[in-house]
Amino acid sequence: MPQFTPGKSFVAENRRKFLDPSKKLEKLRDIPEEDVVRLLAHRAPGEAYKSIHPPIEEMEEPECAVREMVKPTPGAAAGDRIRYVQFTDSMQFAPTTPRIRPMMWYNRYRGIDPGMLSGRSICEARERDIEKLAKEFIDNETYDTARTGLRGRTVHGHSVRLDEHGMMFDALRRWAYDEKTSDVRYVKDMVGGAMDKEVTLGKPLPEDELKKRTTMFRNAQGGVWMEGDDPEVADVISEIHWNRTWGGFQPFVKRDAIKGNKGVGVKELKLYVPRGGVE
Amino acid sequence: MAKVEDKVDLYDDRGNKLVGDVPLTALSPLRNPAIRKICSLTARSAAIDLAGLESKLKTGAIAGKQMIIRGKSLSLDIVGKAKDVATQMKEMLEVEAGDETKVDVMAGGKRLLVQVPAARILADYSAARTNTCAALTHAIINTFKVDMWKAPDVKGAVWGMYPQDPAMTGSVVATLVDVPISNEGPGYTLRNIPVNHIAATVRKRAIPGAALSMILEEAACYEMGDAIGPFERGHLLDLAFEGLNANNMLYTMVKENGQTGTLADVVYSCVEKAKADGLIKPKQKMGSGYVVYGTDDLQMWNAYAATGMLAATMVNCGAMRAGQSVPSNIMYFNELLEHETGLPGVDYGKAQGTSVASSFFSHSIYGGGGPGVFHGNHIVTRHAKGQFIPCFTAAMCLDADTLYFSPARTSALYGEVLGVIPEFAEPMKAVAEGAKQIM
Repeated sequence: MPQFTPGKSFVAENRRKFLDPSKKLEKLRDIPEEDVVRLLAHRAPGEAYKSIHPPIEEMEEPECAVREMVKPTPGAAAGDRIRYVQFTDSMQFAPTTPRIRPMMWYNRYRGIDPGMLSGRSICEARERDIEKLAKEFIDNETYDTARTGLRGRTVHGHSVRLDEHGMMFDALRRWAYDEKTSDVRYVKDMVGGAMDKEVTLGKPLPEDELKKRTTMFRNAQGGVWMEGDDPEVADVISEIHWNRTWGGFQPFVKRDAIKGNKGVGVKELKLYVPRGGVE
Repeated sequence: MAKVEDKVDLYDDRGNKLVGDVPLTALSPLRNPAIRKICSLTARSAAIDLAGLESKLKTGAIAGKQMIIRGKSLSLDIVGKAKDVATQMKEMLEVEAGDETKVDVMAGGKRLLVQVPAARILADYSAARTNTCAALTHAIINTFKVDMWKAPDVKGAVWGMYPQDPAMTGSVVATLVDVPISNEGPGYTLRNIPVNHIAATVRKRAIPGAALSMILEEAACYEMGDAIGPFERGHLLDLAFEGLNANNMLYTMVKENGQTGTLADVVYSCVEKAKADGLIKPKQKMGSGYVVYGTDDLQMWNAYAATGMLAATMVNCGAMRAGQSVPSNIMYFNELLEHETGLPGVDYGKAQGTSVASSFFSHSIYGGGGPGVFHGNHIVTRHAKGQFIPCFTAAMCLDADTLYFSPARTSALYGEVLGVIPEFAEPMKAVAEGAKQIM
């Protein structure tokens, strides 16, 4: 049974929950498939999938043992184009963080190409595979309608102040907030293009709920401080760095022969940052 | 040579045992006859596009697409006289009668495969390319009685943009290794081979492709001074397990996860294997119950991790039938592995670090490249030594031509000509046979 990642705090627990494919993530909304297609803007709802090669079964594949052992995903088997979905996660306690997303997807999906850069994470895959992944991760608890953005371009906003409704900044104004119902609607698609129909994603989670669900360590605004509140996580990271340095120096000696720390983590680590951070 | 006592069993790409109890030292690029031959052939072999030469001279497109000299045209039946050209070239290239010089006519005269004798290489491997170009130039001039006024056209078409461009852009003579001026640093010669060339050479078979790639990468590590003294064992273990499917570990991990497994499942298979083999043991139980693992043999751990990394790439790229995810596979295989155990990722963090820039340079955010044109001789790929590039080769082998830079587009000539050399086509079998000879 994998252990996924260390830590005693609920943040670490949440991370393990997101990473563990045996744990079903809570479904907070059910966006119709055709609305997901609308939001992604790769094809029109109802339009057939375009392909870049014939179905695998009709192709003459090389006599490769790996191809014989590894089953293609449905999208690959059909020869779909490769398309993407991209999320921006606000550092104001969005449920997931850009770094956790690829780890989570790689635990739960085959045949994908995720990457992350500062506030956003992209995932590329064959078109029908990415639509499945996109629907699951727009519907489930990793997505909050205020703190998570579906952004193909102009992804900026993850580290910007929130507006009066707690919404993450979006330079392309893809979303609209309904002050009467508190629902968030997408009025533009993922890349900011026009849609034939608006898509309602629903109400944002309350602030206390977001703070309970987050996978983000953050020494500010009441967040969990990794080094101060859950030092086990920092200790394991420190251990990884020790081991990397040991290997980079002389991987043929025993760890005990290296001068310095023998155990896991740094004992009595002095924390220079005050609780709550420096604003 | 440092004392290395480990022994491994070698298996082929389908999980069949090739040879058992092979001392690791028999896999050293300095000792294994097949690896020595592969490296030697890599430096000495050239593929010549005679059909291309004929068309260049006919159209005046002497040194490539933009290098057209209007009004210049030579109609020579080079393909038709390929045998004559080959015979003359062989005579010129031979150092001793009956030595290993080879000039074979292929594809009905459209291509030539040339192997320059080792005796021609005194200090610089470029002798293979220069002498092949010179012999071809002279053979053409001689065969077709080209006069003094037209001879420079032949020279230009054969040598490409040399000497304006020392890399000889537009030349009809292709070698797997590039010219020394293109090498990133000392000892990088065997790392300067785009993975598409390797993928085309092994006919896009992922495990032999990774094997050939790794053989060349690891041989380069010896030439770079990276496999000296006690560091040598680490390189040999990586080569054996990741590159040569030692103890059938690579094959087993792919097989176990091939039908339904994710990249992360391969991480956990790798960790379980290391635990089962007693390689890693619990070091400390943390407050949450999380167990940090330790090992007494970090070099062996690196070999296991490197094997897992390649298997994970094969599982994910295989499921996608696309090669583009390889940098991401490397990144998150290592990320998940480190967080699962507390032990370092492949090449002690360097594979993961290298994958960051590789992601950037192989995706459209940058726009200029693709995994197929990557090789170990580049500022963004060179830092993980040996273990990294074989994953790219495997990924390109598994790609169903979804990428712009596909092996068919960039490397067809290499595949056609070099793929017939048995050591290149079946590197794992060749190395196992080579090991048997010196065990």
